[in-house]
Amino acid sequence: MASSDSSPILRLTFLAVLAIALFVALFARLWFLQVLAGDRFVELADSNRLRTVVSEAPRGAILSSDGEELVRNRPALTISADRQALLGSDGAPRDAEAERVIERIAELLELDTAEVIDRLGSQRRSPFRAVPIEIDVPPELVFTIREQQELFFGVETESLPVREYPQGTLASHVVGYVGEISQDELLDPEYTDYLGGDLIGRSGLEQSYEADLRGAAGRRLLVVNAREHVLDVQSDRPPVPGNDLRTTIDSELQEATERLLADGIEASRSIERDDGQLLPSTAGSAVVLDARSGAILAMASWPDYDPREFVGGVGPDYFEFLQDPESERPLVNRALTGSYPPGSVFKHASGAAMVEAGVIGPRGTRDCDAQFELGGNTFRNWNRGVNEGPMDLSDALKRSCDTYFYALAYENWVRENADDGSEEALTEVGQRFGFGRTLDVDLPSESPGRVPGRQWREEYWLESRDRYCSQAEAAEQGSLEEELLSDLCQFGGVWRGGDAVNSSIGQGDVMATPLQVAASYQAVANDGVLMRPHVGSQVVSPDGEVVREIEPEPLGELGLDEETTAAIREGLERVLMESDGTGSSAFSGFPLDEIPVAGKTGTAESPPRVPYAWFAAYAPADEPEIVVAVNVEQGGGGSQTAAPIVRNIMEHHFGIVDADDAEFEAGEEILD
Amino acid sequence: MDLGYGQDREQRMMRDRVQTRWQSAYAPVRHLDPVLVLTALALTGIGLVAIYSAKHVALSSQDLPTTLYVTRQLIAMIIGIVAMVVAAVVDYRHIRTYAPVLYAIGLVLLVLTLTPLGTEINGSQRWLVLGGFQLQPSELVKLAVLVSIAAILHESQGKPHIGFITLSLAITLVPTGLVFLQPDLGTSVVFIWLTAVLFLIGGVQVRYLVGLLAAGVGAIVAAFQAGLIEAYQLSRLTAFVNAGDASAAQTAAFQTRQSLIAVGSGQFAGKGLLEGTQTSLSYVPENHTDFVFTVIAEELGFLGASLVLGLFLILVWRGLRIAILSKDLFGTLVASGVVAVLTLQVFVNVGMTVGIMPVTGLPLPFISYGGTSLIVWFAMVGLLLNVHMRRF
Repeated sequence: MASSDSSPILRLTFLAVLAIALFVALFARLWFLQVLAGDRFVELADSNRLRTVVSEAPRGAILSSDGEELVRNRPALTISADRQALLGSDGAPRDAEAERVIERIAELLELDTAEVIDRLGSQRRSPFRAVPIEIDVPPELVFTIREQQELFFGVETESLPVREYPQGTLASHVVGYVGEISQDELLDPEYTDYLGGDLIGRSGLEQSYEADLRGAAGRRLLVVNAREHVLDVQSDRPPVPGNDLRTTIDSELQEATERLLADGIEASRSIERDDGQLLPSTAGSAVVLDARSGAILAMASWPDYDPREFVGGVGPDYFEFLQDPESERPLVNRALTGSYPPGSVFKHASGAAMVEAGVIGPRGTRDCDAQFELGGNTFRNWNRGVNEGPMDLSDALKRSCDTYFYALAYENWVRENADDGSEEALTEVGQRFGFGRTLDVDLPSESPGRVPGRQWREEYWLESRDRYCSQAEAAEQGSLEEELLSDLCQFGGVWRGGDAVNSSIGQGDVMATPLQVAASYQAVANDGVLMRPHVGSQVVSPDGEVVREIEPEPLGELGLDEETTAAIREGLERVLMESDGTGSSAFSGFPLDEIPVAGKTGTAESPPRVPYAWFAAYAPADEPEIVVAVNVEQGGGGSQTAAPIVRNIMEHHFGIVDADDAEFEAGEEILD
Repeated sequence: MDLGYGQDREQRMMRDRVQTRWQSAYAPVRHLDPVLVLTALALTGIGLVAIYSAKHVALSSQDLPTTLYVTRQLIAMIIGIVAMVVAAVVDYRHIRTYAPVLYAIGLVLLVLTLTPLGTEINGSQRWLVLGGFQLQPSELVKLAVLVSIAAILHESQGKPHIGFITLSLAITLVPTGLVFLQPDLGTSVVFIWLTAVLFLIGGVQVRYLVGLLAAGVGAIVAAFQAGLIEAYQLSRLTAFVNAGDASAAQTAAFQTRQSLIAVGSGQFAGKGLLEGTQTSLSYVPENHTDFVFTVIAEELGFLGASLVLGLFLILVWRGLRIAILSKDLFGTLVASGVVAVLTLQVFVNVGMTVGIMPVTGLPLPFISYGGTSLIVWFAMVGLLLNVHMRRF
C-alpha cells in the first residue's frame, strides 16, 4: 500500500476480524448440526423418505363342527380419505379446496359435514393408513368418486375385509363380534402390535381366540421422494392371514336349540299362573353339551342380537335398541354370564354333599314332611300340604323333596359347627360339580356363581359390615328394618342353620350359570368326571393345516362312591320315567323306553319376581350322549316351561321330532 | 583509475543485465497468485460435482442427460476463465478510467430486466435472455459498483469529502433500488454492505460512517412509521423465494427444515458422494442453486463442508493480503471489496442452509449453478490478480 497512513491497515484488520468471526459462526453451527445433533437429523431424514404402508390381514373364519362358516371375511367397498390431505393440525379442513371435498363426500354419503370431519379426525386411526369414512358402500358411490377423482382430492376407494355372517344371527353369542381397538387399549403394553383402527374381538370366540384369528398385518416400507412418488420398496412383509377356528358347535343343533328356546319362551307367555297372571318369561338360555367330552354342541341365549349390525360400527338406532331396558340386554350371553339361584337343579350336588359329609348314607332316609321348623322359622316343602313319608336320595330327587334336604342340611350344619366349622361339605362338593368356580371355558365373561358357606359369609360380612351398621343407625328406631339391619351389623358374619337349610335347595345365596348346571349334570352322566366345557376344537391355518387341536380335558372328578352315584342317577331317571317324577308331565309321549332320559326340574324363587324355570337332563340315561340345560327367566315352574324346551331339543337331536315341527307343550306347574 | 573500453562495456552489460533482471522480476505475469487461482478452480470443481449430485436423479427421471447442468456450468467456467484473464491483463488503472462506462452498461441491463424483456423465475424478475444465454445483470452491476466507488474514493486520496460520499451513495442506491424491485433483497443487501466496507476502507471519517448508519436505521424506522412498509411486505420480502407459488412444499419454512435435515444428517463424514437421500429424493428445493451447500454437507459431511469453508477462507486471506500489498488505494479498495462481497455471500448463503439466516436468493460463490455469477466471480479473481501483479 502506497500510503504510510496506518489507518487503512487498521480498517483492513477490522474487516479481517469481521470475516473470520462470520466464518467461525458457520463452523460452530455446522459442528452443532452435523456432529452434535446429527443423529436426530438422520432419523428425520429417514422418516422423510420412508413410508410404512399397512395392509390388513384377513381375519380367520369360525366354523361349526359340520363345516358351516359361522363368520368369515368379505371384501367391503370403503370410502376412505387421507387425513393429512384434508385436515389441518387443528382438525378443521386445511383449506377451501379440502372443505369443498369434505362437503362433496358428505353429500354423497348423506352425512353432515361435521360428521365426516369427525370420522376423518378420529384419533384412534393410525396415521399409516387412510381413514375409512364409510365402510360397505354401494359400488355406484365408488364409481362416482373414481370417475371424478379430481373433485375428490385425497379421497380413496378401497376394499377392506369386513366380517360376514353367512348364517345370520346363528350362534351370535358364541361367535361374538369385533370392534375397533380403543384408545386406552392402544396405550396398554399388551396391545403393542395393534394400530389405531385395527379390529379386535370384543366378545365370544372372536375375543377368546383373538390371537389365532387375527393374523399379522403386512407392512411395506416404501422409499418416497418429496412428491410422494414411490421410488423403491425397502422391505415388504406380506400380511399373514389369521387362522380359522373350527368349533364344536353343531350348526344344525344350534339352530334348533335357538329356535326351540325362542319359541318355547314365546309360547310360555300364554301360560296362566295360579294368580291368573300370564308368565312373563322375559329371557332365557340353553346349553347342549357332549356328555363325554364336555364340548359345547349348542349354546343359545335369548334375546339375541344381530352381529351384522356391528360391521363398520353400530348405528345409532341399533345402539339405542341395545341400550333399551325393554330389550333385556341382548348382548349378554346368559348361558355363561347369567348368574341365577339354581333352585332344585342344585339338589344332586347338595344330596351328594350330605352323603360325602357322612350325615346320611346313599340309601338312608328322612321324612319328606310338609315343612321343617327351625328356630321359629318354618321352611316349607314346595308341595305345601302332606307328608310324603320317608325318602332316600333317589326318592328325594324324583319328588324334589325340599324337607329331606332341609333336615340333612341342618344336621350337617350342627356337625360342622361342632367340628369348628372348617369343613364345609356343600361348598367343597359343590365345587367338584363345577359350582362356585369358573369352568375355564374358552369364552369370555364367564360368571363363577357361588356356593356360600361360613367362610364366604364371614368375608362378605367383613366387607359390608360398616354399611349395615350405618344403615341400621339411620333406620327408624324400633322398625323391622332397623331390627334386621342391626342384627346384620352385629351377627351378619354368622353362618346360621337357616342359611344352610336354604342353600341345600339351591336358594339363599347360591348362584349358578346355566353352563355350570349343564356341566354338573355332564359330570354325573360321565361317570363322575367333570370335563372342561369348550367350544374351540381345532385351529386351522388358511391352507388347511391343523395348527392346534383343542383336546377335551377333565377339570376334576366328583369323587363319589359308586353307590352314591348310582342313587343320584337313579333319582334323576325317575324324575322323568316315573309318573310322579316332577318332570314326567313334560315328557309324556317321549319314547323313554327307547331313549331313557335323566333330569331334574328347578324353580328358583327370586321374589318379587316370578320364579326362574330350570331344567337339566342327559340322555340316553344309560349311555349318555348329550346334556341339555335350559333356564327361563321368570318362566315359572321348571317342569312347566324349561322341561318342555329341553324335551323338544332332545326330540330334535334324537330324530324323533324335527325342530321345524316341534310344538311347545307346557308341563305341569310344579314350583319345586 | 583508467577505465578501458572493454571494462566499460562489461560494466554496461552488467548494468543492462541487472536492469533486465529487475524488469523481468517486476513483470506482472511473474506475479500471479497461484494459490488464489487454484482455490477458485477447486471451489468450482466441487461445485460441478455438487450440481451433478443434486440433479442427476431428477434429470434422468425426465429423460434428460444427467450432465445437462454440469455442461452448462462448465461452459460458464471457461467463459469465466477468459473473463479472469481479461480482468487480470488490462492494467487496473485503465479499468478505473472506464469505470463510468461499465457502470452505465450495467445499469441499462438492470433496467431492462424490469421491462418485458426480463424473465421471471420463481416470482422474481432477475434475468435477461440473450441468444439462449440467461444473463443476470445484477451480478455484473455488483462488479461495476465496486469499481466505480473504488475509483471515486481513490480520487479523494483517502480523505473523501462530503461530495464524494454523496456521489458514491447515489451510485450504489440506484442499482440497489432497481434490484429491490425485482425483487431481490439479498443482492440489495450486498450492494449496501459493499458500499459500507468500501467507505470503511476508503477512509471515510468515522463520524460520517456513524451518521450514515444512523440515517439508514432511521429511514427504515420512518418507513415503518409512515406505513410505507407493512409487516406482510417484510415477510414477503424475507420469504420471496416462494412468491407466486403457495404450495406447501415451496414455503421457506419447508426449505429451511429440509435443508437442516440434509445438513445435519450428513454427520461428521457424510453419507458418501451421490448417496444423500435428501439430495437425490429432491427434498431440498433449489439444491443446485441457492441450496447447493446442503448437497456438500449431506454427502461429504462436516469434513466436506469444512473443506469448502476453508477454501473460502483461503480466498479471504489472499484477498486481504492483496489489499494490503496494493501500491495504491484503488487496488486496496477493489481487493477489500471483493473480500467483503465474498464473505457476505458465503455467510448469508451457508447461514441460510444451516438455519441462522433468512431464506434469500443469494448464490454461493463459485459453487451454485448459475453462469453469470460464476463468470463475475472469475472476473473478480481476475481483478485481485491484476492488483497483485501490479503491486510494485
